[in-house]
Amino acid sequence: MGEYTPNTNYLNHQILTARIAHSQRLFNGFTAFLFTVDKSSNSMSEKHNFGIAPVTCHSFNRDRTGLALSLNDSNVKIYKKSGQKWQETDTLSEHGQRVTGIDWAPDSNRIVTCSADRNAFVWMLEGDKWKQVLVIPRINRAATCVKWSPKENKFAVGSGSRLIAICYYDVENNWWVSRHIKKPIRSTVTCLDWHPNNVLLAAGSTDFKCRVFSGYQKEVDEKPGPSSWGSKMPFGNLMAEFSNGGGGWVHSVSFSPSGDKVAWVGHDSSVSVADATMGNQLMVIKESFLPFMSITWVTENSMVAAGYDCNPMVFTYTGSKINMGAKLDQPQEKQSGNIRCSSINEMPKDWNPNCLPKNGDSEDGGEESEIDVIASAMNRFKNLDKKGTGSDTATELKTQHQNTITQVSIHTGTKGDASKVATSGVDGNVILWDLKSLESSIQGLRIS
Amino acid sequence: MLAAVISKKSLTVSTDKYQEALLLVLQNAPIGSKNQAVKDRATSLLMRVLTSFKGDIDQCVKSLDGKNVDMLMKYIYRGFEMPTENSSAVLLTWHQKVFAVGGLGSIMRVMTDRKRV
Amino acid sequence: MAATLKPYLSAVRETLTAAICLQNFDSQLVERHNKPEVEVKSNKELLLTPVVISRNERERVLIEGSINSLRISIAIKQADEIEKILCHKFTRFMMMRAENFTILRRKQIEGYDISFLITNFHTEQMYKHKLVDFIIHFMEEIDKEINFLKLAVNSRARISAEEFLKNF
Repeated sequence: MGEYTPNTNYLNHQILTARIAHSQRLFNGFTAFLFTVDKSSNSMSEKHNFGIAPVTCHSFNRDRTGLALSLNDSNVKIYKKSGQKWQETDTLSEHGQRVTGIDWAPDSNRIVTCSADRNAFVWMLEGDKWKQVLVIPRINRAATCVKWSPKENKFAVGSGSRLIAICYYDVENNWWVSRHIKKPIRSTVTCLDWHPNNVLLAAGSTDFKCRVFSGYQKEVDEKPGPSSWGSKMPFGNLMAEFSNGGGGWVHSVSFSPSGDKVAWVGHDSSVSVADATMGNQLMVIKESFLPFMSITWVTENSMVAAGYDCNPMVFTYTGSKINMGAKLDQPQEKQSGNIRCSSINEMPKDWNPNCLPKNGDSEDGGEESEIDVIASAMNRFKNLDKKGTGSDTATELKTQHQNTITQVSIHTGTKGDASKVATSGVDGNVILWDLKSLESSIQGLRIS
Repeated sequence: MLAAVISKKSLTVSTDKYQEALLLVLQNAPIGSKNQAVKDRATSLLMRVLTSFKGDIDQCVKSLDGKNVDMLMKYIYRGFEMPTENSSAVLLTWHQKVFAVGGLGSIMRVMTDRKRV
Repeated sequence: MAATLKPYLSAVRETLTAAICLQNFDSQLVERHNKPEVEVKSNKELLLTPVVISRNERERVLIEGSINSLRISIAIKQADEIEKILCHKFTRFMMMRAENFTILRRKQIEGYDISFLITNFHTEQMYKHKLVDFIIHFMEEIDKEINFLKLAVNSRARISAEEFLKNF
């Protein structure tokens, strides 16, 4: 007859975990009291800072473990993802002047960079060093933007010499050859985007027009089939030219995932879409926002644009009009300086974990608004002490980006089905936005 | 064509139909014209309407569509260039109301549009 | 008249916020150069329409924009001779030290009393909304300054005249 000793291990374990959980919550509450809840990284957006200099341009590699960017100087810095942070692994410093464009080819893993010194370099990884090859696009003014074609056998460079240089690799001579598209561009080419068929190219310029050209190179391309933009595509042929009636410089242009539509943003605070399947029909939306600097399609019918408002915005295109969607960055009450949660004496056994703000919770409950009032009063006295003024003369903007956003790119997914986008701006930040979780938390945000 | 508009307009102004008068000038604005005199006449006409406007400015501006709001903003800035006795004060009020509807985008378009008023 | 001050300043603030959307732009005309387009006026398509905001016949602000730079010229209220002289001296004082001001222009534009030149390099280093705040604050303060200076000049004149006439 054995004594029954109840298996206390299991019970002990349970009690222990409960205690740990409780003390964990206590600890969390305590730290939340002492420190501020850091909103710089929650499930909806991730902010990465690279210094105080503006991020001129950025590009990710295929699996998003590598990031190439330029901080407003002649160097290109390569970063490798380690955990949640980015670690600098390389600096590519061949350019003589400011780097204006970077593109990292996903399949061939080559990086092409262009700069105000009128040159372009193609960088290839050999072992763990990047080796460069000089490309002379034969432009006599600064290069403004560069993009690999979808098949990565050529790239296009836009420039201030009012032309686009298409460069492809000539195997015989072991040299990158460039051909020019000149007519009828009348001013600096500011932005480029390739059509999925690897032949057509959209270009925006400071002469207020958006154009679709053919970049067909018989040395490297097979004859393309007819597309919605036309069937005859000799090199340099102007397939379509659009002007939205106003006078704004075109800042960014993007082909839709199928290539049938092209969207661009102009300095006259407009977003325009031209639809080749509807006879080159042009739809424009002109609203009260500040101009956008960059736009990209995230599904066949939705686009994300970002610019001087420091806030990415969604637009949807139905066949008949463009609709303004919601902004991705719903400004939350800036946490710094605000004390969240009551004093530690109130951390009882029946402590309510709902006291802490949930991540991503923008609509705070009534109980927290009281604490807000106390906290902002605290802010006032802090300001009085520090700056000598009673008013909270906010230096910080309410948005996550503190200065203009200059580039939006797809991070996770493709143009047809993007789940994360990355924005980089003049404040030196690169922020990743998770579209799926934003869609569920922001009212009125529908990305179809 | 503008002469006809002007005569029609003077009639409407005198008969207190300010909103209609405003709409008329905005829609027939000689924006493509190369004749500076025509443009000046249109501007002075619009100034008359704006300064003698009686009624609810807010309502009037809200009833205008996007294009007319942009056009009105252009004329407001043009009016600022030629300040008279009390015109600037009136124009500043109009500017405030139109900005509430058109926002920064309408000011952007005044500056970027190649076709001047 | 004082009633027009607030709408005047908010109109200037809104127009400035729109015009201060600048980007880095290398010269199309000269290779390897980067110049403020509003100053060189090399290509018409890179310039924006200049706009004027006036509070009355004497007080005006001219805002000329372009793709990479912005010029703001202010005409300050000068009611009488003495204010004219004071304004001239005060602005001359500042313009001689324009380098320390960073955004101040060494010479004013014709017809105005003081001019600022803001380029994309300034907006990269400083917050755009704070630059706008500064200009508006400047416009508010300069009127007060000139009034203060005028009072000071008048009181000094009176004191020195009194002292002088005590001899007789």
